Amino acid sequence: MSFMKHPFSLILLAASLAQGVAQSVPAKIEFNRDVRPILSDNCYHCHGNDPSHRKAKLRLDVREAALEQEAFVPGKPEQSQLIERILTDDADELMPPPDSHKRLSAPQKEILKRWIAEGAEYQPHWAFVAPKPVGLPAGLKSHPIDHFIQTTLQSNGLTASPAAEPATLIRRVSLDLTGLPPSPAEVDAFVQASTADAESAYRAVVDRLLGSPHYGERWGRWWLDQARYADSNGYSIDAPRQIWKYRDWVIGAFNADLPFDQFTIEQLAGDLLPEATVDQKVATGFHRNTQINEEGGIDKEQFRIDSVFDRVATTGTVWLGLTIGCAQCHDHKFDPIAQQEYYRLFAFFNNQDEPELRVMDPVVDAGALTAELKDLEGRIENYLEARADELSKWEAGLTPAAIKSLPPQVRKILAEPAEKRSLAQRRTLGAAAEGGAGRFEEMNGRYQEIDAQLNKSTTTLVMQERPQPRRTTVLIKGDFTRPAEEVTPGTPAVLHPIAKTTNPPNRLDLARWIMRPDNPLTARVMVNRIWQQYFGRGLVVTENDFGLTSTPPSHPELLDWLATTLVDRKWSLKEMHRVIVTSHTYRQSSSDRPELREKDPDNFLLARQQRLRLDAEIVRDVALTASGLLSRKLGGPPVYPPIPDGVLNQGQSKRTWKESQGEDKFRRGLYTFVYRASPPPSLSVFDAPEGFTTCTRRIRSNTPLQALTLMNDDGFFEFATALEKIIQKDGLETAFRRCTTRAPKPDELAVLEKLDTLNAARALLNLDETVTRE
Amino acid sequence: MNPMNPDNVLRDLTRRHFFSRCSMGVGSLALASLMAGRGLGAAPAPQFGNPLQPKPTHFPAKAKNVIFLFMAGGPSQLDMFEHKPLLTQLNGKPIPESYTAGKRFAFMDSSHRSDLLGSRRSFQQYGQSGKWVSDLLPYTAGMVDDITLVTTCKTDLFNHAPAKLFMNAGSGVFGRPSMGAWVTYGLGSECDDLPGFVVLQSGPRGPRGGAVLWGSGILPTTYQGVPLRNQGDPIVNLSTPKSISQGQQRQLVDAVRDLNMKRLVETGDDEIHTRINAYEMAYRMQTSAPELMDIKEESQATLDLYGIKDPKETSFARNCLLARRLVERGVRFVQLYDTNWDHHGGPAENLEKHLPEKCRDIDQPCAALVRDLASRGLLKDTIVIWGGEFGRTPMGEVRESTGRNHHIDAFTMWFAGGGFKPGLTYGTTDEFGFGAVENPAHVHDIHATILHQLGLDHKQLFVRSQGLDFRLTGVEEARVIRELLV
Repeated sequence: MSFMKHPFSLILLAASLAQGVAQSVPAKIEFNRDVRPILSDNCYHCHGNDPSHRKAKLRLDVREAALEQEAFVPGKPEQSQLIERILTDDADELMPPPDSHKRLSAPQKEILKRWIAEGAEYQPHWAFVAPKPVGLPAGLKSHPIDHFIQTTLQSNGLTASPAAEPATLIRRVSLDLTGLPPSPAEVDAFVQASTADAESAYRAVVDRLLGSPHYGERWGRWWLDQARYADSNGYSIDAPRQIWKYRDWVIGAFNADLPFDQFTIEQLAGDLLPEATVDQKVATGFHRNTQINEEGGIDKEQFRIDSVFDRVATTGTVWLGLTIGCAQCHDHKFDPIAQQEYYRLFAFFNNQDEPELRVMDPVVDAGALTAELKDLEGRIENYLEARADELSKWEAGLTPAAIKSLPPQVRKILAEPAEKRSLAQRRTLGAAAEGGAGRFEEMNGRYQEIDAQLNKSTTTLVMQERPQPRRTTVLIKGDFTRPAEEVTPGTPAVLHPIAKTTNPPNRLDLARWIMRPDNPLTARVMVNRIWQQYFGRGLVVTENDFGLTSTPPSHPELLDWLATTLVDRKWSLKEMHRVIVTSHTYRQSSSDRPELREKDPDNFLLARQQRLRLDAEIVRDVALTASGLLSRKLGGPPVYPPIPDGVLNQGQSKRTWKESQGEDKFRRGLYTFVYRASPPPSLSVFDAPEGFTTCTRRIRSNTPLQALTLMNDDGFFEFATALEKIIQKDGLETAFRRCTTRAPKPDELAVLEKLDTLNAARALLNLDETVTRE
Repeated sequence: MNPMNPDNVLRDLTRRHFFSRCSMGVGSLALASLMAGRGLGAAPAPQFGNPLQPKPTHFPAKAKNVIFLFMAGGPSQLDMFEHKPLLTQLNGKPIPESYTAGKRFAFMDSSHRSDLLGSRRSFQQYGQSGKWVSDLLPYTAGMVDDITLVTTCKTDLFNHAPAKLFMNAGSGVFGRPSMGAWVTYGLGSECDDLPGFVVLQSGPRGPRGGAVLWGSGILPTTYQGVPLRNQGDPIVNLSTPKSISQGQQRQLVDAVRDLNMKRLVETGDDEIHTRINAYEMAYRMQTSAPELMDIKEESQATLDLYGIKDPKETSFARNCLLARRLVERGVRFVQLYDTNWDHHGGPAENLEKHLPEKCRDIDQPCAALVRDLASRGLLKDTIVIWGGEFGRTPMGEVRESTGRNHHIDAFTMWFAGGGFKPGLTYGTTDEFGFGAVENPAHVHDIHATILHQLGLDHKQLFVRSQGLDFRLTGVEEARVIRELLV
């Protein structure tokens, strides 16, 4: 019934395929691989970690507890209650109960029987044990990734696909690393160089792309999904907010290849670093991307707590790949996380003020200007003091007519008693008395100039630790009106211990705890999520859940090899990208093959690459590039490209959308202003997240509204008009190449030649191939 | 698509393009043989052809479609349906503390009052069932024997946007699938030229919360509600660009299809098949959506029934007529939002003047819709739902004039058609209408009941995300309220 459920049965199949096992019951039962998925999907809901939902006092997730309740007798399935209950014909006795809609298959029953016969041994959950270095065969000639992938393929009687055509490959790797297609000249150069030395030509392209500033845009957006970034406050009022400095910080951090451990620490606790820089404070915007409810009649505390809930859940999902948020209302049903532990994590995030930070333009030397301003202030003060007599004489000599001719703000100052006037007021008065020339005016003019420059700054939302901690308690059922026992900050016992620098530990300690090398989760979770971008699916399909109900990794050794490699390479994400994209597994053709269609139709074993529809922003970027309109300007405030009439009025408040002019009309999609409650349709129809909660994997839908957007949207029509000019000037073949990167075949050209040039341009921008990376 | 529908058969016969039917048409067969030529023998799986293809139900369904008339802001049940003489009698007196102890309300720190406010409306009993209805709803009073009234509806959240989400998605958290998305996800759509889930709006502004109310959340955007707009294109980007003729647009769609087919044969990627179908449906929508919105063909009698004065003008009445036209065309879930039901007693939101105006806007059209659906044989297959995100307090609120605050413990909704028991009143509230004394109906139970009538088991309709099975009815037990059903 449910397609989301679909991958689970497939991954089980894939897992058994990956083990090279043809029959459904393996020769030797392994708890993690064979038994745990059955128990956690069918039994743990009532016989798991959460005591409040536990039935018959039985828990099956801990061996000792199960033995104590005599659930089974190791080595003797025929004497084991568990086996009796899953095999019985009596509906009242049967487990799982019929009304749970869960049913064990015959092979699953057989696995449980055999497991007990073999001694009913448990294993710790794989993801809670830190990955160990994975040995590679001595003298391995192939790429380690290919070694892992091809070993599994071989045992399933399959082979990898041939390398993709050079034009396909350069388009793929350009889109994957920068989100922009290659220019025709870049394609020609690469195809040419590939005939001489394909390997070094490809490596040169990868180096160039990783050095491109557009790399930071592409992978920055990947991170912004997880950071739930958008440009408004959400909820019903959804007023605009300013936090794009954080977005630019992310792009810059990717381009500088800020090591992922540092990247993490600055975002979670940059403000607590010794002598934190402005950039490090801006980075804490990560957790300011929560919504703010400005509706009338609300209880502000309720929504502050909601944003803390979101911060805990997001931290758990993004860095740990754990559904920690599940323990908000009760002990986690599947994973060993108690509700109290949830609130100990909550305590780290319950102690912040949420201010705005003023950020100067980097070209402005704020320190020097502030010093100069102070100096000028002193000089002006001295000057006015030295001329005090003359000034009061001037003031005394003013006739009513003369006063009337003075500007209103000066008249206002004159009305105040002299001894109560501020320096600013005396400056204004002095300027009026001096008549706008000479030394004073010089000083005053410069003063005003600096003052204006210093005020011309941008604000961004940041975190700031409160001097006095808030008290944190468990909240019964997650209800903020029902506090229970008080808790102190701390981390779940099932994971590695935390090192404290303060007592109790603070957010900085938490951030460092996450990045500790003995953390079993973070490196795996990150490499899996990066892998997912390249192949459309992670090695662990449940990319946001590595807990007990996660799907087992299709290639466990590869996952651990990637995770340990990330740590070995000092958390350099650019290095990880290089490792992955230089494998044959990445570079092979994505076209389907008859034998794969039969044996691995969903491509779990990766005997081919995967065609992937481009992300929403990149659909736009590709059209802009093809039509020659793209502005390559980096960063800055969000922009307002044309948007269909009426879409901004769907929510409670009518919004303004001052359409950008000039090159800002043609900026990359990630710079478009996003109102959470009414996101730009051309992005949302292609599944761009709205930033309500963290998004660790985008859905790829395929709908008629996408067709309407590409065919009829004013923006895309404008791109088509520009592409038409290219057709008229350089011909159809060039335009085709600008959209798909490859040369058209004669029969394809024939289809396009039947159209007028504008329609041909529109057709090209509408091709499945144009919006897909192959 | 329903193959028995003569319209569809006719349309297919007259269609000149060989690949113009969605899912497994002639085109697919041709395609299969092309792909077989490349050794990619297996035909594309049907679920990839059209994600909205009708799907089997969990058990036989009593209803096929839903029309949800959403009164955004929270209509005052105490001035419309709930006749409470004691409340009138004790007008101005404080509510006994036993009612309010431990309760939380919106605007707690400012305008909230605890003095009872009796309704100024006059109530009468109507029909065989003898239901009480106030003078604000004369047309609704005339159909009380055709509807099921539930006076003990209960929700969890008392601020507008979260409560609206709760009523639509079973959760106050932004980003969960709405009921319309769940239903089209679970059942697909029987309409091949309009979206499966359509939203219509009336009132001075959009509902608080906006597009998330009809969002698809963790489900693919295929299932999200598509707002039909009254101005400009009925659907965003529906019209062909001005300088392009219809013939040119068809040429475009044909050329894109031909090129996509070549690529499909080359790569064997079933997603291209889905995209080809999406373009065909988009092209059909370009004709069918304006046809739908054009109510010229409706008779004067029909317009009069709904009380539509100007067929071109946006109104709740016109949206009700459009809802019938949508259901007629097989659209699975239609939701109407009418805004400005938030009668706190502010300058433009009091009970004396503004509530009667709102009632006048919706009373006749609601009754007309039920009648019209019944006379066309559509009511038995269609669940009509009327209600808001919550109701209003028995206590008055004094701002510029008289009003009531948000109330979540007992409010009224009604249901018609789709196997709901006509003439039934379900639930009893206390003498002030503050809370249920019998048969409370929590939003999750209401959702479970609606899904049940559509042939869906609320426990089996779930998707897994972030380690949890997400359901419309949430994690706690929900109950199908069988007493409401025929």
